[in-house]
Amino acid sequence: MLAAIGGLTALGVTLGTVLAVASRCLNLDDDPLEADLEALLPGAQCGQCGHVGCKQAAAALAAGTAPVTLCPPGGASLVRALADRLGIEPDCSEPSGSLRLHEAVIDEDDCVGCMKCLQACASDAIVGAPKQLHGVLAEACMGCGRCVEACPNGAIALRPMPVTLETWHWPKPARV
Amino acid sequence: MQVDVVYATAERQVWLTIDVPEGTTVVTAIQASGILQRCPEIDLKAQKVGIFSKLTKLDATVEAGSRIEIYRPVRR
Repeated sequence: MLAAIGGLTALGVTLGTVLAVASRCLNLDDDPLEADLEALLPGAQCGQCGHVGCKQAAAALAAGTAPVTLCPPGGASLVRALADRLGIEPDCSEPSGSLRLHEAVIDEDDCVGCMKCLQACASDAIVGAPKQLHGVLAEACMGCGRCVEACPNGAIALRPMPVTLETWHWPKPARV
Repeated sequence: MQVDVVYATAERQVWLTIDVPEGTTVVTAIQASGILQRCPEIDLKAQKVGIFSKLTKLDATVEAGSRIEIYRPVRR
């Protein structure tokens, strides 16, 4: 029995040391620019920019393959912050990803108060409690659509953002 | 300390941030926020309230940063 305890302890200590040394020696430092950009992004991993998550979007931004206007939930303030960090002038000549395209709305006749959408929401935009009607705070909604997938009753839909003074843009001229 | 008071329907959402002293109860915070004047349809005797999706009593005390929510029962 003592031999077994001793053997397993030795094994644990040896492997632990190997792992500790390996993590020190083989450590790959994250690009500090990428890390900064990732910290600026909302971190909701919503995928609306077309990247898998915010880390990948930050990598694309750092590599210059994605525009600073890529993030719909981030909005105009994020465009400015990203452009400042990258030291470039944002190209805001045409409306782009950084306008939130959709917002979630709940059909109150179909909501049973099951809390599934609340758990799926990354921005705490849904107000509700068990067996109580859920409601979406439009200000906080990022339009990612996770709640739509989570709702077992199909009671949530994404609707296009209403046009307001902040979101209106001059339409592009017609091509001849 | 700051607390939020919210009431969300599909058509309209009211989200107010107010300053209240320590030890404030849920009902005092709701009254102080003025949300009852903005949404006269709210009936605190009939509607449940909660903090961050947990149902609470009206006389429960609130902590800094709490989001006090006023709910409506489901229709089916």
